[in-house]
Amino acid sequence: MRSASKEYKTNEIAVSVRNLGLTYSTAIDRRPTLKARVKSFGRGTKQTRIIRALDNVNLDVEYGHVLGVIGTNGAGKSSLMRVIAGIIPPSQGRIEVFGSVSTLLALGVGFNPSMSGRDNVFLGGLAAGMTRDEIEAHFQEIADFSELGDAIDAPMRTYSSGMYARLAFSVAATVRPDILIVDEALSTGDAKFKEKSLNRIKELRSDDRALILVSHAMATLRDVCNDVAWLHQGRLVQRGEPNATIEAYQEFLQVGKSAVIDEDL
Amino acid sequence: MSAPLQVYEPFRAGLPPLIRYWKSLWSRRTFIAEYSRSELREQHFDSVFGQMWLVLNPLLLSAVYFLLIVIIRGSSDSTRYAHLTATLFLFYLVANSLTGGVKSITAGQRLILNTAFPRIMLPISAVVIAIFKFLPTLVVFLAIRTILGLPFSWQMLWAIPVLLIATLLSLGLAITISCINVYFRDISSFLPYLTRTLLYLSPILYEASALKPNLRALEVLNPLFPILDSWSGALVHGQAPQTSHLLTGLAWAVGIFLIGTYFFLSREREFAVRL
Repeated sequence: MRSASKEYKTNEIAVSVRNLGLTYSTAIDRRPTLKARVKSFGRGTKQTRIIRALDNVNLDVEYGHVLGVIGTNGAGKSSLMRVIAGIIPPSQGRIEVFGSVSTLLALGVGFNPSMSGRDNVFLGGLAAGMTRDEIEAHFQEIADFSELGDAIDAPMRTYSSGMYARLAFSVAATVRPDILIVDEALSTGDAKFKEKSLNRIKELRSDDRALILVSHAMATLRDVCNDVAWLHQGRLVQRGEPNATIEAYQEFLQVGKSAVIDEDL
Repeated sequence: MSAPLQVYEPFRAGLPPLIRYWKSLWSRRTFIAEYSRSELREQHFDSVFGQMWLVLNPLLLSAVYFLLIVIIRGSSDSTRYAHLTATLFLFYLVANSLTGGVKSITAGQRLILNTAFPRIMLPISAVVIAIFKFLPTLVVFLAIRTILGLPFSWQMLWAIPVLLIATLLSLGLAITISCINVYFRDISSFLPYLTRTLLYLSPILYEASALKPNLRALEVLNPLFPILDSWSGALVHGQAPQTSHLLTGLAWAVGIFLIGTYFFLSREREFAVRL
């Protein structure tokens, strides 16, 4: 998450994903314990399960474009974003990233809820590899954009989910990354903030940044995306013009163009 | 078109490229400082009473243990009290590293799931926090030592290499246990028993010379034994440590650090899917 190091031109490739596969084993228990392991010893009870999260995904994202990613829950959208951000290494394939990535995955800021919003912004930024000076230079803008006011110095456990979302989006969008990944973060803000973040996304797009938006808000995606990719059970089903892809997806869901899915929920 | 800034490919089992890992860790050293500082601030160690508690807590502990010694042995003297406080304070550096380190990865879940960074920063921060808690107690010990009227000597400087060995050991233990805790979350409940056992197996409530000959094996089997004995020898008695003690302690510290770090680094790329 470094601020823009180079200037990139429209239509140059920002992220290239080739034959990506992701398989991992994870614990069945939410809290795997030694006790459970000892108890199941010799009985052959399985403690882990294999998850095939992504299978042969090919995807390019160009600068100056916004890619929307849709799919049902568990389709592998978040896994794909984590692999692109370098958080989880792929099991197969190759990913090339031409620029700095800022992620906003499932509200990344605020890892320690007992610390203030300010501390969390600094720690999150430092962990992502920014320098203190860089964060300080951006901090006022982040605080202003989030409109949190004095709450920025309150512990984050006192924040509502909307306030979390505001702060997270402000951080990710303010540091002006070359590539911004937004994972379902727009949906928790109020109407005014949603409007504001959409405007910021459009601004970043015309500023020749690359954006990847994971969302269930179809109206938003139709509005801002150049391209939509539809993932289902780890595979890329369709990729292309937003309206066509979204319609195919909605037909698949057999809900048609009902009001429920068109709303920003 | 310029070369990709980042390439992500499947990793082979084993260590990540160490030079790149080190560079990435070094460039984030301010995170470690900042994280420790805000963690200490959150535990109120920036306030007057917080800092007093930092000093008061080990002092009260040493008073309680001193009482125990007096009751069991029927008598005691000032050297014994100095020995007790010196070793107890260093022991708490190791114990605090363990208790801070054990949850460092699981508590950093949000950060790990959302940011790419060298995960080893988290247990390292836990050790840095333990060191910050240790430093004021060192000052308290020197004050106690002066009040008790023990003579100062140049041999006391031997405490510096001993402290470095103890820090390396703490680091190795914190890294190892934070990694184990990802796979077995109940390790943190066993930890108090582990540290308590270590406390009794180490020359803290007794002096190393009082150990029965049939228990001499402890000198080698307990990594803290030679370290604490040399520490007390240097700081309390003003004696240079035995070379064999220093080497045993160093071997343990380096061994645990290398093995723990190897496990951690070869596992850390899957922490995100294990949390």
